[in-house]
Amino acid sequence: MAAQLALLPMAITVLGVYIGTVLWSLRISFSSSKIFPTNDFVGLAQYQRLFNTERWIVSLQHLVVFGVLFIAACLVLGFLLAVFLDQRVRGENALRTVFLYPYAMSFVATGLVWQWMLNPALGIQSTVRSLGLPGFEFDWIVSQDKVIYTLVIAAVWQASGLVMAVLLAGLRGIDEALWNAARIDGVPRWRYTLSVVLPQLGPAFGTAFVLLAVGVVKVYDVVVAMTQGGPGNASEVPAKFIMDNLFNRANVGLASAASTVMLLTVLALLLPWWYGRTVQSRREVRG
Amino acid sequence: MVRTTLKHLALGAALMAAATAHAQKADVIHWWTSGGESAAVKELADAYTKAGGTWVDAAVAGADNARAAAINRIAGGNPPTAAQFNTSKQYHDVIAAGQLNDIDAVAAKEGWDKWLPKPIVDSIKVNGHYYAVPVNIHNPSWFWYSKSALQKAGVAGEPKTMDEFFAALDKLKAAGLVPLAFGGQSWQEWITFYSLLLDVGGKDAYLKFFKDHDVASVNAEPMRRTLAALKKLHGYVDAGSPGRNWNDATAMVISGKAGFQIMGDWAKGEFGAAKQTAGKEFGCFAGFGPSAPYMVAGDVFVFPKTSAKAVIEAQHKLASVFTSPATQVAFNNKKGSIPVRTDIDSSQMDICAQAGVQAMKDPARQIANPDMLMTPDMVGAVQDVITKFWNGNQSVDDAVKALQGAVKG
Amino acid sequence: MSSPTTGRRSRVTPARVGLYALLISSAAFFLLPLYVMLATSLKPMEEIRLGQLFALPLHVTIEPWRQAWASACTGLECRGIQVGFWNSVKIAVPSTIASIFFGALNGYALSFWRVRWAGALFGVLMFGAFVPYQVMMYPLVRSLAAVDLFGTLSGIVLIHTVFGMPVMTLLFRNHYAGVPSELFKAARIDGGGFWRIFFQLMLPMSLPIIAVAVIMQLTNIWNDFLLGLVFAGRENLPMTVQLNNVINTTTGERLYNVNMAATVLTSLLPLAVYLVSGRWFIRGITAGAVKG
Repeated sequence: MAAQLALLPMAITVLGVYIGTVLWSLRISFSSSKIFPTNDFVGLAQYQRLFNTERWIVSLQHLVVFGVLFIAACLVLGFLLAVFLDQRVRGENALRTVFLYPYAMSFVATGLVWQWMLNPALGIQSTVRSLGLPGFEFDWIVSQDKVIYTLVIAAVWQASGLVMAVLLAGLRGIDEALWNAARIDGVPRWRYTLSVVLPQLGPAFGTAFVLLAVGVVKVYDVVVAMTQGGPGNASEVPAKFIMDNLFNRANVGLASAASTVMLLTVLALLLPWWYGRTVQSRREVRG
Repeated sequence: MVRTTLKHLALGAALMAAATAHAQKADVIHWWTSGGESAAVKELADAYTKAGGTWVDAAVAGADNARAAAINRIAGGNPPTAAQFNTSKQYHDVIAAGQLNDIDAVAAKEGWDKWLPKPIVDSIKVNGHYYAVPVNIHNPSWFWYSKSALQKAGVAGEPKTMDEFFAALDKLKAAGLVPLAFGGQSWQEWITFYSLLLDVGGKDAYLKFFKDHDVASVNAEPMRRTLAALKKLHGYVDAGSPGRNWNDATAMVISGKAGFQIMGDWAKGEFGAAKQTAGKEFGCFAGFGPSAPYMVAGDVFVFPKTSAKAVIEAQHKLASVFTSPATQVAFNNKKGSIPVRTDIDSSQMDICAQAGVQAMKDPARQIANPDMLMTPDMVGAVQDVITKFWNGNQSVDDAVKALQGAVKG
Repeated sequence: MSSPTTGRRSRVTPARVGLYALLISSAAFFLLPLYVMLATSLKPMEEIRLGQLFALPLHVTIEPWRQAWASACTGLECRGIQVGFWNSVKIAVPSTIASIFFGALNGYALSFWRVRWAGALFGVLMFGAFVPYQVMMYPLVRSLAAVDLFGTLSGIVLIHTVFGMPVMTLLFRNHYAGVPSELFKAARIDGGGFWRIFFQLMLPMSLPIIAVAVIMQLTNIWNDFLLGLVFAGRENLPMTVQLNNVINTTTGERLYNVNMAATVLTSLLPLAVYLVSGRWFIRGITAGAVKG
């Protein structure tokens, strides 16, 4: 069948590249690889070391906090921006570019700008104070507890434009006639948005959610550019832990173990959702 | 008419040169990409070209990126001719994997044993073979200060002891300046820690910890004193220090807003870019007292394994050119480091470099930096402990316990 | 084209004013870092060292921009970031086209055609999106070297296609999930085969999502650094390698004005694409098609 042929590249990619490298990485996590992968076997030693490393444990905690806040804020902000832009405003092209441009810029430079802006001695706190509010405090970025929120701010700045674009594409696929019918019935615009538009955006929200979730698991650039995981370990994240051990500390075995743990966690979260969808679609086919 | 002829001649000469030099094409990975570093690399490349080779530049900024590129190219079967590493244990794993060519021939011919400082020889000579060519000596533990800031605070002169240093910091604080310009990044906290260990704890405590990985020494008095001093030092940095780039901290010293900075001799590049001269607007010292230990760090080039004769020739030529006296002086002048050779003329260098060369003449003062004594993995583990200690409210006892866990390996 | 179904004229209602107010204040939040970047890029280093982040430049200079483009040092060479521009184009254009094509094809096949193992494979592909690509590098390097594609243009295009496949497939599959199945059934009844329906019906209908896909892939591939550095080979190094060499330095001096200028210059191409993509975010193609 033509469809099977067309899906062959995907099949090869999945099996050869993704499954293959994940399995390889799993194998290496049972070795003592340093700078080059080696083939010896040390059992679960790397995993033991991993969970005895405080830096790894806190990175997981930070990821949860960051992930929840980041995804929620991006979805809300992205949705609002998409709805606003959909209202036939003047300058839609310019506004859309304004919301999207952060996505285009390398975080190495923009992250540094955020670091400067949030630095109490250099940025917003010192500027507001010099403008006449001497007690103003905004030093989250140097605080052990609050630095993670600064990462959320910068990351939301960078990513909500893309969420907006995805949702806008979904919005533009919704039939205008539905709004006409609702208007004739006297339904206010916001009610229409919540009860008619939102459900129809289900797939688009699904896409946005997965994009954001992937971004959360892989978050690295913003941390390196803004805080380097600091102060201390207060903004450490798993991807940075993996990268540091892979290249800087020449610890391929440990990095592979960390990467495997991350993937297992993702799998644990994905499987129930996947199972639910399969059951649901089987029900639909039958009924 | 004459111009056309000259052009033809030049073209012909270039073609001939290319044909002969093509045999010694050197594909070199390094991470020197800023303006000052580029000028320094140019010295190396020019010297190599003059010796008849062709330099093909493969610069990748960021030491981690450059090493990743080198390792991946070795793995992919397309290795560079030479790749930069720090004088450290970073490439020892590559040696163990059998992926490097040795350069014993060059080392023997040019008598490296005679004029290379011992800490460097220990790092580049593994199992009796030479695997890397050192090109410079950087000292990460210099103290820099702004003359105008110190004058404003009423500090008489360079502190000659640790106590005088703390007294100067107090004076700076009282004068409303930032006593210690600091960048709160893990590697900068790390430099501060081992500089203090060397200057406060002393050479023996330093070696016991970094070289012997002696767990008991961590709980001994010198280390405890160092950790207490580190904690005390934290009170002298400003609130905006976490995450700050080292250049931004140097900028504070340059503009006179801060008094001191503890940073490597590459800081001279920032001072130079701001058109300041050593001894005029800023001062430098590498430890306290005339017999203060001088830390040896630096850069080397390793040679990935290959059996192609032309490439091996190129590798040997690189090793020979990099260590020749003329190249050493020219390169290190631009780089801000000091030559690896102990037998060259330093009169053309700035006063900080001259002080460094002087210190290196005494073998008793030479001390290897932690990267040469510990694997990158263990360095990382200790760094994690130090950054937590510096940024939190941990007691010295807890830090001692954590450090012991880190060096146990 | 967007159907002029409503005769509503944009009157100045409180709701309208509120809308513009919200949009403009959001725009301000988004533009603040850009302002700092541009201001920094127009200041000389002496001013930057003073640390007045939000101040306008006292002595405006476009030297940093000239330097970033043409004379900043990136190693032995000091020719700025322009060196890799065409390489970036050579890599980005085929990679974007290829990854979007396969994503659309996969999404189409998954949404409308029953292939037994496809659902499971798609699940694994989604899972694959979460794998950090740095961990995958070593085996990929060895595999590409084995087929002589390591360090070639085709190699890097293949790598980008492979890494883009999960997200692109997801994008199109979810988009096609929202397309009414009557459309597809009608086309089948009319005698359309797999490829005909794809090229003549589905793709033309997918313009908004293609716009999003182009935005995503072009940006990601254009800004990619590590994959290009490792897999593209020395003759094809993208602009981002030079950008990294300008911005990133371990112990060298940092010229922040040049760094900011270089970053903005590198992002001009994706930005231009964003601006132009407006004509694709058009309304009502799917909707209108059902009626007609």
